[in-house]
Amino acid sequence: MRFIKTTRFWIFVFVGVLIFSAIAMFFFGSTATGSVAVITLDGEVIDTIDLSAVTNPYSFTVYTDDGDYNIINVEKGKICVCEANCPDQVCVNKGYITNSASPIVCLPNKLIIAIEPDGDDSVADIVTG
Amino acid sequence: MKKILLLILMILSLSACSNATVEENDSSANTESSDEATSYLFAMDTIMSLTAYGEGADAALASVTGAIENLESAVSVTDENSDIYKLNASSSAPIEVADDTAEIISRTLDICASTNGALDITIYPVMQEWGFTNYEYKVPSYNVLQDLLRYVDYNKVTVDGNTVTLENGVAIDLGSVTKGYTGDMAAEILEDAGIESAVLSLGGNVRLIGSKPNGEDWKVGVQHPLDDSVYMAILEVSDKSVITSGGYNRYFEEDGQTYWHIINPYTGYPANSGVISATIIGEDGLMCDALSTATFVMGINKSFDYWRSRQDFDMILITENKNIYITSGIADNFTLLPDYAEEYKIEVVS
Repeated sequence: MRFIKTTRFWIFVFVGVLIFSAIAMFFFGSTATGSVAVITLDGEVIDTIDLSAVTNPYSFTVYTDDGDYNIINVEKGKICVCEANCPDQVCVNKGYITNSASPIVCLPNKLIIAIEPDGDDSVADIVTG
Repeated sequence: MKKILLLILMILSLSACSNATVEENDSSANTESSDEATSYLFAMDTIMSLTAYGEGADAALASVTGAIENLESAVSVTDENSDIYKLNASSSAPIEVADDTAEIISRTLDICASTNGALDITIYPVMQEWGFTNYEYKVPSYNVLQDLLRYVDYNKVTVDGNTVTLENGVAIDLGSVTKGYTGDMAAEILEDAGIESAVLSLGGNVRLIGSKPNGEDWKVGVQHPLDDSVYMAILEVSDKSVITSGGYNRYFEEDGQTYWHIINPYTGYPANSGVISATIIGEDGLMCDALSTATFVMGINKSFDYWRSRQDFDMILITENKNIYITSGIADNFTLLPDYAEEYKIEVVS
């Protein structure tokens, strides 16, 4: 009798975990099509961030081989370079980006932060400008 | 025993679940697969993104990257070993240049002539004086500009085969046409490699090869001239260059005045024609690149007269009065986004 009870308990746990996994997958699956920022340094993808899944804002620093740096701020749905040691400060002045229209580019440090288009029909494949 | 079995099952189910999530993230992060490849490239003072579809896309993009680097070393205005650097330091001595350089100069001179100098590759000394070549911006004195304008005249450049001669004091920069030419060169390499679908952005100069992999036209966003974080219209087009000149690409502000990098070769001052964004759509990338600058300088009336005399391209001109003029050839493929439909007025020109 005691044996059956423990088995039931574990079956409950098992089913619970399954349901939890299914819910988690549903949420992660749906957010993966959202706004994904791809960070490229000198042509290499160094990080990919799902901006829609960010709960607490954070920042981190990207260093080039020459020791130059860009400090990147990440918030829910948006991303920016908040500080950099590049001479032109174009990346910092760009501010936050929230969509795929126009990436943040730091030419001196060869850094690109681009948000991938989400496949929506009204979204451009590329932008001229 | 059963407990252990169930525990193992549970752990397995958990790990299977987390594996699935990881794979999903990987596939969204990965820009390279057997039938799609993307390269980013820093060249010609800008960032280029190249995406090709189909078998061999990776290798084809690698050839394109190599060719762009070679071309840049020939036409760079700052590289001491480049053809252009040698020409600008030549003190009127004839210089032998690479095939690409000779072709770019010769074809561009034709456009300088046909636009009556609204495009002029000899504007370089004036650009230097404004600081647009090295980001050390300043407003030059009127007298200095007048003095420099004596050397601004595309007729002072002669091309004979691969021999180019600049008159004394004349300096050239091919920045206004090189990216358009590069797009065509890249398209040729990709097509030779059997790629039927690719989209290239050479610092905002777009070159489309074929249509999208699903056969539809590419959707090209036209950047908002006053807000570079959004595009205001979508143009559906295939197999063409789409090249925009805007005052927003490089500019500085002094005493409340904005000075942008597109200089009117007649006055030496930033172009002030009322056009704040000029997009040219056509099969010849060099021509599109050259004409996006020329029409920005010429303004609405002269640009449309010029278009009527040729009709081998299409254009979208946006003015500071919030009018959008488009040529009849692309009217059906042009969509102004709803957010801007009230503020901006479209006029189709034929």
